[in-house]
Amino acid sequence: MGSTAGARMRSDVWRRFRKNRLALVGLLSVGLLVLAAVLAPVLAPADPGQQDLPAKRTAPGRQFLLGADEFGRDILSRIIFGTRVALMVGTVSVGIALGLGLVFGMLSGYLGGIMDASVSRAMEILLAFPYLLLAIAVVSALGPGVLNTTLAVGIWATPAFTRIIRASVLTLRDTEYVQAARALGVSTSAILSRHILRNFLPTIIVYSTLYMANAILVEAALSFLGLGVQPPTPSWGLMVATGRDFLLVAPHIATIPGLAIMFAVLGFNLLGDGLRDALDPRLRT
Amino acid sequence: MGGWRKGAPYVLAAALVLAAGGLWQDVQAGEKRGGTLTIVRPTDPVSLDSNLETTAPGAWVYYNITEPLIVLDEQGKLQPRLATSWQVLSPTKVRFKLRPNVKFHDGTPFNASAVKFTVDRAFNEKPGARWASLAGPFAGAEVVDDLTVDLSTKEPYGPALRSLAMAYVGIVSPAAVKKHGENYGRNPVGTGPFTFVEWRTNTSITIERNNDYWGDKALIDRAVFKVVPEEGARMISLRTGEADMVIIPSPSQLPALKREGQVNVYEVVGGRIIFVGFNLAKPIVDDVLVRQAMSHAVNVNTILENIYEGAAVRPRGYLAPTVFGFKDMGLDKLYPYDKAMAKALFAKAGWTPGPDGILQKGSQKMTLSWLASRGRYLKDAEMAEAVQAQLKEVGVDARIQFLEWGAVFSQMRSANLDHHMYTFGWITTNNDADYTMFSSFLCKNAPPTGWNRARYCNPKVDELIEKARRSVDQAAREKMYAEAQSLMAKEPIWIPVANTKEVVVTQRFVRGFSVHPVEYNLDLSKVWLDK
Amino acid sequence: MAFFVLRRLLLAIPVVLGVIFCVMLTIEMIPGDPVTLMLGEHATREAVEQVRHALGLDRPLLVRYVQYLGKLVRGDLGRSIREGRQVSQELADVWPATLELTLAALVIAVLAGVGAGIISAVWPNSPFDALARVGSLFGLSMPIFWTGLSLIVVFSLWLQWLPVGGTGSLRHLILPATTLSLPSMAMVARMTRSSVLEVLREDYIRTARAKGVGEVLVVLKHGLRNAFIPIVTLLGLQFGQLLGGAVLTETVFAWPGLGRLIVRAIFARDYILLQGAILVFSLAFVVVNLLVDLSYAAIDPRVGRQG
Repeated sequence: MGSTAGARMRSDVWRRFRKNRLALVGLLSVGLLVLAAVLAPVLAPADPGQQDLPAKRTAPGRQFLLGADEFGRDILSRIIFGTRVALMVGTVSVGIALGLGLVFGMLSGYLGGIMDASVSRAMEILLAFPYLLLAIAVVSALGPGVLNTTLAVGIWATPAFTRIIRASVLTLRDTEYVQAARALGVSTSAILSRHILRNFLPTIIVYSTLYMANAILVEAALSFLGLGVQPPTPSWGLMVATGRDFLLVAPHIATIPGLAIMFAVLGFNLLGDGLRDALDPRLRT
Repeated sequence: MGGWRKGAPYVLAAALVLAAGGLWQDVQAGEKRGGTLTIVRPTDPVSLDSNLETTAPGAWVYYNITEPLIVLDEQGKLQPRLATSWQVLSPTKVRFKLRPNVKFHDGTPFNASAVKFTVDRAFNEKPGARWASLAGPFAGAEVVDDLTVDLSTKEPYGPALRSLAMAYVGIVSPAAVKKHGENYGRNPVGTGPFTFVEWRTNTSITIERNNDYWGDKALIDRAVFKVVPEEGARMISLRTGEADMVIIPSPSQLPALKREGQVNVYEVVGGRIIFVGFNLAKPIVDDVLVRQAMSHAVNVNTILENIYEGAAVRPRGYLAPTVFGFKDMGLDKLYPYDKAMAKALFAKAGWTPGPDGILQKGSQKMTLSWLASRGRYLKDAEMAEAVQAQLKEVGVDARIQFLEWGAVFSQMRSANLDHHMYTFGWITTNNDADYTMFSSFLCKNAPPTGWNRARYCNPKVDELIEKARRSVDQAAREKMYAEAQSLMAKEPIWIPVANTKEVVVTQRFVRGFSVHPVEYNLDLSKVWLDK
Repeated sequence: MAFFVLRRLLLAIPVVLGVIFCVMLTIEMIPGDPVTLMLGEHATREAVEQVRHALGLDRPLLVRYVQYLGKLVRGDLGRSIREGRQVSQELADVWPATLELTLAALVIAVLAGVGAGIISAVWPNSPFDALARVGSLFGLSMPIFWTGLSLIVVFSLWLQWLPVGGTGSLRHLILPATTLSLPSMAMVARMTRSSVLEVLREDYIRTARAKGVGEVLVVLKHGLRNAFIPIVTLLGLQFGQLLGGAVLTETVFAWPGLGRLIVRAIFARDYILLQGAILVFSLAFVVVNLLVDLSYAAIDPRVGRQG
């Protein structure tokens, strides 16, 4: 693409994006999260691991702005530091899924035949495989912790990405454009990267953003079921899980982290929607 | 005298009225029969055949259906049940005199043959009882006459009697076992105050009063055990009236419940101790000074107050108080919470705080790895997190690895434990010190052979444990265990944090219930409903 | 048509067999074995070995896999390791509960979602529309277990209108079904809104309106027909999400369904029970995908012919 044409398209996209108020809200939210993650030590009023047992379950108020958890730790500080885990899980796991999805999706979509059949069957097997078992297997092999849980989440998201990419490749594979390139003797990898990939870049961007939201939810669910982040690292999902026991006496312990999860997920959803609308208004849902 | 005689009729009348009034009071305050008791607890058992089901959910039910020969009362003393008396004939043989005129729920008579059948089924047949190895080296039973039976062990075994008082050793009806075969676990038949009615898997088990019971008949008509896995949900069902009794209630709600006085809270110090253990095979913690220092760094009282919130008491040793052979190890006096003392001991061992606050010795940092479970024992994960923070304050960097139970358990059982510390909860199932001492502290019983997770080796302690196991002189045994525990207290091998209470919460109208220190012994025979 | 169905079912077989083998292999590789876990902390090594041998669990993996397949062909799903009950019986005990929950959630999602979507499309940018759109966004963003817990706090603890968990009556079903339906409801509402809006903008609609044909009929006939395929596709995809979400919902509400069974089986390493459950699960997927495709064929006959 020529640079002027590209520049014009980019400013068009930005213009459309700017007009969409909800999309801006999404961008702002995600920006806020990133800021919180980066500046956590500065923003947090207290050490997220600092316990004060006699002050357990304090309701939100003067001493603790958002209240204290069952160990007397400041919930606000834990929420702020928790953005690090949420964002890391979101981005890295989507990165893994995207990487694997690109490889498998493009190969199976473009080459077809046995490759396609086997990849498709493999993805179906992965989809039917109980996710919890997958997570336990990864954690057992590699040990618990954020990074390895992220890997498990990434593997979980792979079939969906593979499917999307494969579908996109299929629609573009038999166009005249690509056929001409093939006739001209352009190599497979060049065709894949230059001609095909570029055309569904918007879909990838949108899908990745939306999936980040899902990834955060899955990590939260894993922590909820007992795997995932190791204390004292704060994870929003783990906070909801452990706060469950105190719903009657101190509902804020479980509720507030849940709101944080929702905020992050909402932000990514809005951003993804906005990107999709801006990049291709025809795709608007 | 004359005056007295004149007033006699009035006095008599008055006395009669008073007596009648007293009687009337008695009837009012007397126990009422009838009603259904609804009990909620976390899980369903796997079977009601004690040979196959050795966990609490099963025992809570079959403790009311089958009965052992002898039982442990709430003070930890042996009491007759299906046996009226017993006599130690030799170090390997005990003779039991059985209670006459007792029938099983299916009408067949209870006698020495039934006892022999049960014992053989547990110890001598394949597959045998899953608790057989816990009970000890039993050889079998011999029928002497219809109401007399001899139980023998393969070698002298001190804890023999206490083993026979376990909830698992209920005598079963031979006729019923033969009739149902492998389905016996879903149709248990015993001699107890309740008979089995029905079992809807993962939903409820129903038992009803045995009107032909040999002893005091139960007062309630039926008891229904329901499955409610969520702690919060169990408590709510109590509030809404859906449940009458909650087993394993929510500790955080207990103080409020006790204050409000709307329900009955029954609690007693139980047999389970939750502790932080050391792995003496690993460097750093193999140094006794380090372990002593860490014992001083843990503030057990604040954990009990704020995390267990009254659901547990401070352990007085490695054994629970009702266990035979228990000695108060005085751990709270030996290792009071004292951060300065902890730091001093670390210094003595060569560990001083580095620039980041973590202790170091030369180039080595005190980074310890800790294996823990979540939700397996009461507040196990929370306790670990709290202790982790306390250790951080004195410069110990304890890295906890929480895994789901399957993974934790398999690591605990394997020959190699790659962690310095671990969390565990232990109950002395037959309430005899041998059970824990032999499996957990004997040098040769390191995993996978036994349960010496600490890999503790002390020849003097070994000698005491072996001798106490083979002696049937109970007084001598007590002395040997006391000595062993004194030696172990100085090591220290575990940091016991919580001795959990058995807590059961009931509606106000549930009367006659008392909770047994042994978790498995849930006795419903005296319960009545005041409504 | 029959050929189409048959071919689809046959294609599912290798996948299911593959999953079964993967499950078996995975359980073999992760730490923790079912018998040790079952017998608990107080069992001796001899006891464990004895039970493993009795259950045939000490034989090599491939041998066990082949034996399992052999039984499977005869319709025997084996016995669960933990309880020794027939797996088919255990599954029969739980799958109706999950089916009930999932169908209820689906019904709620469709009725509320389509309803809200239609209203939004007919009166775009109205307060209702704004509320519905924001609501949908929230519905998509709320973690299911958090929603469930919050609903419990509000409706069971504070208001005491509905029971906390468990099963047994319609009242027990309301909270879990609603919780599970929310993400799907949100997606359906959005999908319906955009599909109906798209149709309403078309010229021929304007002509019909100008002619005075009732607005309602217009919307119902054309708008819904246009929305049908995307909604059905969405629901087909959502069914997978629903079944997956059932695990979390069942955990929060103590709903005795397939999801909880699977969690239990995984933690107990009971691979025989797990495999049976996965079998049911994957077959459910296949059936649903098939139904979705069949419904396309009903709308568009070309689909059926190409198979």
